[in-house]
Order: sequence, then C-alpha cells, then structure tokens
Amino acid sequence: MSDQKFNEFYEVVIIGAGNGGLTAAAQLALEGVKVILFEQHNLPGGFATSFVRGRFEFEGTLHELCDYGPHDNKGSIRRLFEDDLGLQVEFVEIPEAFRLICTDINDPINIVVPFGLEDFVAAIDNAVPGSKDSLLNYLTLSEEINEAITYLTESKGNPEKDVLLKKYKSFLKSVPYSLDEVNNALKIPQQAQEILDAYWIYIGIPTNRVNFTFYSAMHYYFLTRKAYFPKYRTHDFSTALESKIRENGGKVEYNTRVEKILVKDGKIIGVQTSKGDKIQTDNVISNASPTILYNNLIFPKEEVPEIAYKFVNARKHAISCFSVYLGLNASAEQLGIKNYSYHIFNSMNTEKIYESFKTLNSPMVQATTCLNNIINDCSPPNTSMLMITTFFLPGVWDNVKSEDYFNIKSKIANDLIISFEKALNISIKDHIEEIEIATPQTLSRYTSAFQGSAYGYESDPWDSFIPRLMAMNDEKYIEGLEICGGYSSQGVSYTNSLISGQISAFLTLQKIREGE
Amino acid sequence: MKNHNKKFDLSVKGNIRDLLAFKNLISKRSKLIQKASNLPKNDPIKNLSRKLHPEKQTLVISEIREETKSTKTIRLISESDEKKTAYFRAGQYLSLKVQINGTVITRPYSISSSPLDSLYGFYEITIKKAEDGFLTQYIWDNWKIGSKIESSGPEGNFYFEPLRDLNHIVGIAGGSGITPFRSIAKSIINGTINAKLTVFYGSSEEDDIIFYDEFRKFEKNFPNQIKIIHVLSCEEVHLEGCEEGFINAEIIQKHVDINKCSFFICGPQIMYEFVENELAKFNLPYKRIRKEVFGEIRNPLSIPNYPKECIGKTFSIKVEMGSLLTEIPALATESVLTALERAKLAPPSRCRSGSCGFCRSALISGEIFVNPFDDKRRIADKLRNYFHPCSSYPMSNLEIIVPRNR
Repeated sequence: MSDQKFNEFYEVVIIGAGNGGLTAAAQLALEGVKVILFEQHNLPGGFATSFVRGRFEFEGTLHELCDYGPHDNKGSIRRLFEDDLGLQVEFVEIPEAFRLICTDINDPINIVVPFGLEDFVAAIDNAVPGSKDSLLNYLTLSEEINEAITYLTESKGNPEKDVLLKKYKSFLKSVPYSLDEVNNALKIPQQAQEILDAYWIYIGIPTNRVNFTFYSAMHYYFLTRKAYFPKYRTHDFSTALESKIRENGGKVEYNTRVEKILVKDGKIIGVQTSKGDKIQTDNVISNASPTILYNNLIFPKEEVPEIAYKFVNARKHAISCFSVYLGLNASAEQLGIKNYSYHIFNSMNTEKIYESFKTLNSPMVQATTCLNNIINDCSPPNTSMLMITTFFLPGVWDNVKSEDYFNIKSKIANDLIISFEKALNISIKDHIEEIEIATPQTLSRYTSAFQGSAYGYESDPWDSFIPRLMAMNDEKYIEGLEICGGYSSQGVSYTNSLISGQISAFLTLQKIREGE
Repeated sequence: MKNHNKKFDLSVKGNIRDLLAFKNLISKRSKLIQKASNLPKNDPIKNLSRKLHPEKQTLVISEIREETKSTKTIRLISESDEKKTAYFRAGQYLSLKVQINGTVITRPYSISSSPLDSLYGFYEITIKKAEDGFLTQYIWDNWKIGSKIESSGPEGNFYFEPLRDLNHIVGIAGGSGITPFRSIAKSIINGTINAKLTVFYGSSEEDDIIFYDEFRKFEKNFPNQIKIIHVLSCEEVHLEGCEEGFINAEIIQKHVDINKCSFFICGPQIMYEFVENELAKFNLPYKRIRKEVFGEIRNPLSIPNYPKECIGKTFSIKVEMGSLLTEIPALATESVLTALERAKLAPPSRCRSGSCGFCRSALISGEIFVNPFDDKRRIADKLRNYFHPCSSYPMSNLEIIVPRNR
C-alpha cells in the first residue's frame, strides 16, 4: 500500500504511544507543532491499557495513580490532564492506601495503611508503639524534599546553591542514601520501617538500595493527595490523549515500528519505519528506552558514541510483572474481599524477596487489587474482578520453552491464587469465570519494553532522579533526541512517565523555537 | 499537620560527610558509567515472544485431504529457518490472509491438529466449502500443494483452562465447528490436557460428518477420555448409536452430568441460538459455558435490532489510512471491514467477530450499527467513538480513521 506511506517533514517524531509518548504528542499538537506518533502495537497506552474477556473489562497494569489529587488540591497529573491538555477523564478516589499482610509467623502483620499524614502516623504508632516521633521527623523530611523538588522544577534546572544549602539542606543530604540508611538515621523502629517501606515493590529494588529521596517524594504524594483511579480503566485516558492529539492536528499511526533513527554528525535527520515511511525531522522524542535507542534504532551505528553504550550498560533493567486477572462470579462482599489493595508478603525482608524474583519458584509477594471496592459497577452485579501481581527480574523467563510456557504460567498463577486465599482466609477458586495471565513475555510482546521490564532502570541512589536530572545535559549523546517514559530522568511510575512526556515536549519546543 | 519539628536536620553519616556524599554523587555516577561495558546488548525474551506470538507466519501447503464431499483438511508447514510453527493452546485459531484479485481478506480458522504437532512444524486446518461462499470457492480452485499462505500467530481464547474449567469438557459442535475439538481430543490423548472430552456433534446428514473414523478410533482406544455423540437432523437416519434431531437439553442430559462439566460451543451462528436456549434450561453459571466466536455474520439482517430501513442503501465512507485520504462506497448490509477490503485498502483484521480489537478504528462522524452480540469494545472506546469495523455496519455516510495493517 505505497499510497499510505508518509514521505514528508515533521517537526517532531515521537516513538511509542506509552504514557510519555502520548502526553508529549498531546502537548506538542496543542502548541501547533507538526507532530507524528508511531506505535508498534495497535492500541494507545503501552502499559496503560485494558482488555475485555467475557463479561469483564480488566485493567492492564495500574494499581493506583499517585499525585492526581482532589479538585481543591490538584496534583501534577490532574493539572496536566485538566488544565494543560483539557482532557475529560473521570477518576475515583481510593479510600485507603492498602492492607499490608505479612504471613511470616515470626513477623506477622495485618494492618490497613491509611492515607493522610495524621492517620498514617497514628496507624503505625498504634501497630508499633513508640514510633511516632521518628515518623514525624520522616514526614518533616519528606515535606522538605517535596518543597525542594518544587523549587528545582520552578528553577528549571538552575537552582541557586545558597538557597539549596540554606533551605533544603536535609534534602541534599538525603539524595546519596538508601531508604534503609535514612530510616535508620531517623531511628524509625524496625517494624515501623517495614510498614513504611511497603511501597518498595512499586519501585522494585530492596530498601537497602532504593533511593530515599525518590521513595519519600512518591510516598508524600500518596499521603497528602491520596491515590486515584480512572473510572473506565487506564485505556480511557490513553484514548482521551489519542483523540486530543488528532483533534489538534497531530498524527497517530499504529502497527508501525520505527526501525531507524537517521543521524548525521551527531544530529537527527530522519526516521524510517516498518511501513516504509521516510520522515525528515530534526527532533525525536522517544518513549523507547535509551537501551533500545542505542542498541537498535540509531542509524548508522557509528553515530552511537562508545559512552552511550556504557551509559545504558551501567544501569540495570528493573523488575517485570506477572499478573493474574480473575473475573469472579460472586461479589467482593460475598467473597470476603473488603479492601481495594492488598500487599501480601511471605517475609518483610526485602533483600530476600528481591532474590526470589530471580527464579521461577513460588512467588513470595503479591500486590493485589479488587476494582469493585472502588468502582462498584465496574463489572456486572454479583461479580468481581481481581488483579494479582507479582514480579520477576529480567532474564528469568528467557529460556522457557514455548511448549512449557502455558504450564509454568498456570502453576505460578495457581500459587498466587492460593496465597491470596490463605492470607484472607477466603475461597475464590470455584468462582473463576474468566482468567488471563500476563508474564514478562506478554509485556515484552505488547510494549516492546526491553526484557519486558516494567519499572525502567533500577533507581539506586547514584541513578535516582536527582543525579539523573543533574547529569541530564552531559548525558545527551544525540542532538535532537529526548527521552520520555519510564526510562526518562524523571524515573519510573505512571505519574513520572506522564509528566516526563510533557517535559520532553517543552524541551523540544524550546529547541525548535530557539532555532527559528 | 504542618508544624512538626521544623528544626529537624538530617544526619545520616554526619553533616559534612552527607554534604560531601551529595557533592560526589555525580562523579561517582560518571565513574560507574565509565567502568561499564561498551558492548551492544540483545533482548533474549524477544526470542520467546517471537516463537509464541510471531507477527506473521509464512506457511506452505504440504498436504490436502478430503474429509467429506465438501470438507478438506489442509496441512500447513513452516517456511521459517527453524521449521517450527508457533505453539498454541488447543482451540485457538489462525487468521489466514487470502489475496483474491488484489483484494486482501482474512479468515479465522480453528487449528484442527494438536499443539505438539506445531513443534514438528505443522498445523492442520479443516475448511468446509460454503454453498455461496466466494472465498471457499477461491480456496478450492487455487490452494494446491506448494501454495504459500500468510498466517497470523495462534489467536483466540477458546481453550481449556484448568484453573477455570471443570475437567470434563463437553463440546457442542456443528458442521466445521468440530475442528477445535479434534485438537482438544488429540491434546487429551497426548497428555497436554488433563481432562476428559465428550462431544455432541450435530450434522445435517451422515455424509457431512467430519472426522467420523478418527473420532471412532479415539473413542475405541481411549474410552475413558473421549466420547462422541453424533446428532443428525436429516429425515432418514441409519447411523448406529446416534441421536436424532438437534442437540437439545434432553440429549445432553442423557449422556453427561451437567453439573460436572464445562461446555464449549463451536459451530454456525444458527446453532448458537438453539443450543444457548437449550443450555439455559440448566440454569448454569456463565463460567461453565464458553463460546467460540464464529467469524463475521453472513447476514446482518438476522441480527435482532438491525435497522431494517437501511436495507439496500449504499453509503460513502471517508477513510484516512496512513497518509491516504480516500472515499469508498459501503453497503449498509456489509461490515465496514468488508467495505475497506473491497476497496483494496488491506485493513488489519483477525477474529472478524468484534472481539480481538485488532481492527480498532476511530469514528470521526456518522452513524454505525454495532452487532450487540459481537460488541466486545472497551468501555472507553464506546464512550469516545472508537469501533471495530468487523462488527459494525454503516447507517449513514461515515468519516473514519483506520490503522494501517502491520
């Protein structure tokens, strides 16, 4: 179909319609920039998607959206969607953070962790008496970190040293350290730390490695602005973004893989796709990771400097997900599922659990959500939906044979269902009307994420968002190339990847306008 | 809660050390990057992905067997270097691409061979010639040994799932709807599926029964695992041990314990309506009845609520596909997908039943009728005017954006 090909100049080409690619394209189209977005899959959203089985529409990946916020205390995502892009997407508020269950008989925990600073402190202090003062210090520090981040954003990467040293000294001092290091310095009792740390699985590295500043910034958003969920699943905002891009004159092309980013003398000159499109452009915003860019996309290969390979090889791809989606023929209430979100651990030792991500053995952790407990009518009356998620490190599934694949995924799914039943002391198995299982292979297939990784690069203190942002200008190896999404400087998460798209749009826009 | 302890000053390893650690962070980062390997990396999980879900498979016809006077089994072998076809779950289908005089269309066909056969590099599909079907006529005339066929990877959700289904599978098949059950039977025999199978197989006459001898052999050799009950609707029935009429509640109950099985239905559209009414008498939970999608509706007039006033009307569709803007004619009684194919636009499609979503397109303006039984769109797509051309019919002039095929 030669007459369907694109052969013209675009001011910006965007690779990938994940969260970052979509917001980047939407922002640029809104600014009147001539933009085209290529996506290899046939849907927008990447991880932000949903699918239908029988009577159910399952959410693909989202547990909860951080920093959306209520009308009177808008977070960055609500501002982005409502104020900047003019989207109309309905969200619901999630009542409490999660129920934390540890089934280790030597360290049993079963507690609902609430949102809200006071409620949070009270709940933990109630579970672990004597932890209050240290938790207040934790919150003071988290507050300072958030103020510092706001200051850094407002100063557009050029903060004044004096201000940082005077007003945000504790923030600076937290940046080089792990969650454990700072929590210990704050003298938070061990069991209180375990509860406080339970979001670590959303970042995917153990607490002796995950950067404190990154963790506490996210945690503080959750505590102060609660969490939200799009009423019609994430596919709703992905589709709203797709429509918005087109409404403003941008192009969105599915089933089209970018195969080459043409570079000459260190500068982008064009893009070629699997559909034979030949676009001339000076600017690419990539929702594909730097690993994919430098290994596969930049053409000719000689244009990739040695340091770019080192830059990507120094970093480790974070965990991938394994999810079981269950459509159940009884209501959550009938089944005894009372909360929206469950974090269920076999052990609170995060290093031990991280080690377990390296094998195909029975999982030691799950993060499980029951959408019906926040959206009553998300499935037909007297039914409910569960999404059970556990994690694997890249590489674990690589050598699975295709003839064993379905049995392995069934076995792991079964293990997860049984441990959910045990943790809640309920029975759900006989109620399974629909089941779907997604593995790291599934994520790789639909999103093309390198190694099926879902959480970007691991965010050790040296590679957390602050050092990434500080080094950003020195780590640009191709002129005209910006990165958005989970592998961007913002770091991983729905929130960060959505925001990163807008940031990369602004940076590209600045470059275009300066050139004019 | 803004008050607490404003004087708080963090000290992890001591004030000066902490500030130095911050100051040295970037040089630490540079050192780690400098130390790293400068070699390119590959992505091994993609190999598994490509094996399980190839974007397309080029297959070659190696054998054609006549099953009945109107049915052929076609063996397709892999052209790939590894000589392997993608593994699948018994009950899944392939979407085959057929090019007729420059028009590219697709058809989903259930795989009738066993998943283990795919490891040896072949699939079998079994096709029944439709009386007025121009596609099957084309296949009869043109598909020969050595013909190359482009196929999708294995698709679909019509398979036995041990975490969901009871381990007695009761198949209800009509006509060429027997094909997935041959695959399931073979999987039970070779141990890929741990369950037993009873098939109620409706045919209009004896000569139309597909795989008659093969299933008899299965029954004979594996009497505890495989059973088939033929149900014949013709007037004169000579076949021994068969049931007469249509597959109804009475016949089903006579042969299986309806409380200990999961029903799997595959057959022509007309059979679904009848069988569903019969099964409704048992008042079974949804989970115990699974239906294969049956491809595009031949006659949309048979869909309840189809707006009869549109019969005979032709509309115009403005189509945007890639850089192409064009205008095509479309009958109210044919799917938007068919109109796109007829206009030689080669749109994407797989299940042709409204469910897989591969043809998902944007409706910019105009009215469509969506078959309510095949409307498996996501809620947001319904709200935001996205539609599946394979299960949608134009009710006015339309303006649409269709993705290019892969």
